[in-house]
Amino acid sequence: MAKRCRGLRLELILKTENLWKIYGSGKMEVPALQGVNVEVAPGEFVSIMGPSGCGKSTLLHVIGGLAKASRGRVLLDGNDLATMNDAERTSLRRHKVGFVFQKFNLLPTLDARHNITLAQHIHGNGYDPHRFDLVTNLLGLGARLNHRPSELSGGEQQRVALARAIISEPKIVLADEPTGNLDTKSSDAVLSLLRHLNRELGQTIVMITHNPEAATYGNRVLHMRDGMVVDSVVH
Amino acid sequence: MISQNVTHRPVRTFVTMIAVALEVTLVIIVIGVTSALLMDSAKRTEGVGADIMVQPPSASVFLGFTGAPMPVAIGTKLQQLQYVQAVAPVLTQLNSVNSLEMVWGIDPTSFRAVSGGFVYYSGRALQNADDILVDDVYARAHKAHVGEMLHVLGHDFHIAGVVEHGKGARLFVLLSTLQQMSGATDKATVFFVKCDRSDHTLAAMDKVNQLLPNYTVRPMKDYIQMFTASNVPGLAALRTVMIAIAVSIGFLVIFLSMYTTVNERTREIGVLKSLGASKLYVARIILSETALLCVGGFVVGIGLSFLVRVLIRLLFPSLPQALITLEWCVYACLIAVAGGLLGALYPTWMASRKDPVEALAYE
Repeated sequence: MAKRCRGLRLELILKTENLWKIYGSGKMEVPALQGVNVEVAPGEFVSIMGPSGCGKSTLLHVIGGLAKASRGRVLLDGNDLATMNDAERTSLRRHKVGFVFQKFNLLPTLDARHNITLAQHIHGNGYDPHRFDLVTNLLGLGARLNHRPSELSGGEQQRVALARAIISEPKIVLADEPTGNLDTKSSDAVLSLLRHLNRELGQTIVMITHNPEAATYGNRVLHMRDGMVVDSVVH
Repeated sequence: MISQNVTHRPVRTFVTMIAVALEVTLVIIVIGVTSALLMDSAKRTEGVGADIMVQPPSASVFLGFTGAPMPVAIGTKLQQLQYVQAVAPVLTQLNSVNSLEMVWGIDPTSFRAVSGGFVYYSGRALQNADDILVDDVYARAHKAHVGEMLHVLGHDFHIAGVVEHGKGARLFVLLSTLQQMSGATDKATVFFVKCDRSDHTLAAMDKVNQLLPNYTVRPMKDYIQMFTASNVPGLAALRTVMIAIAVSIGFLVIFLSMYTTVNERTREIGVLKSLGASKLYVARIILSETALLCVGGFVVGIGLSFLVRVLIRLLFPSLPQALITLEWCVYACLIAVAGGLLGALYPTWMASRKDPVEALAYE
């Protein structure tokens, strides 16, 4: 499956080296990422901030293996995504990455329980009741498991999405504006849960946000502009 | 997930299943009606009670496709052969007035000797040149009664009797009348031969073959097996065309249904891919959903086929009951699923190749 690289600093869960992502070609080229270098250690909670169009989401897609870099390297848990084909990156996502999206992206036909266990089934290990109970209790979803997304509040939907992201014990959770569609109270609840997951379970998290207050939940904040990381602040 | 997807869109599911059901019904009913017509015709011919059928050289097993080139006098020679108990010459003519029916011209005495005679529900035997016998199925379908006039083969006949069905044709006139009407004086289409004992059939056939080399001599016990669609010119082709039309319906409906489903669920496919679902996993979901719709449509189609069979009986009482066999139910199921899966191939390919980033951005 994954191609491991020799000589890597394996203590890093994520490392990008001179990462470029260019859309279009020729005169229509639009560089979304321009030589991004990022390092994330296991157990870190990194927030990425920046204005719209600065390349935050593109960076998240590339480091999560959803999109392929145009140049440079992405090393995720020692696996070089640049050398992987589509099937290998898919397998890597399945086993090592958990995504949380701004729009929750729950499957409308499934209730909360099945939205969560879907990730377990795709992971290939099938339903693990112990892990399921642990995660759903941690996220306070016990009473809402039999409800479909349309019957859940935004905060509840995002908690289900969070449960789906961590149910298969990924190496890293990539959250793309997870509070972008939530009110203040629900945002605080979701961010507190992310911090809790990070602190109590040691879950590595990379979160994109527009909100400076939300960004402070991370141990470190990276600032992006024009496809480049321009600043890094440690809290 | 598959069953939830199917139940989440009830109208789409209903319409798709009905389309597949119509496909299944079309296959089962076309095969069922044609098989029943063949079987009914074969059984009625077999029901004459003869042991051997003698026809002209190279004659078709279907009496309607054979002319009348044999002199009736051959019957006299056949009657004199060892093991032969009785011989009945029959002239056949296809009537296309009002309905498509075979009319048999018979000699009442010899026909009775071979068949054991008719069972009369009403009326009497053939006596006059313009007399006609109808069987109970025909009488019921056409509301025909003894004493009424019946316009057949361009002539007006007087219904002399209503007889129990199952002895050859549904309409019988005197042999001499039909010979005169068709310009086949002293000719017969077929001779039905009754042996003195049924286990003498093969021996009697040898005698007939010696007397009439090159003539077509068939044992009646094998007659039904010879009534297959492939023996009827055009019937196998008709069946193939009807099945192809049915498959096309299923193919197009499933294609359209799954194509719109895949487009509608682009974002969901993106989510599945973000979770690490492989192309095969996505393809399996679409194909499993298709198979479920097809199997559901098949079950509805079987029920619908039985309903259509009842309706055919009500609307066309002279038609035999369509044969719904397990064998063709299985074929119809395979045809429906194969057509459906074929229709789902492109949408499945489309879904499995979706770019996850574009799919997630789909509104």
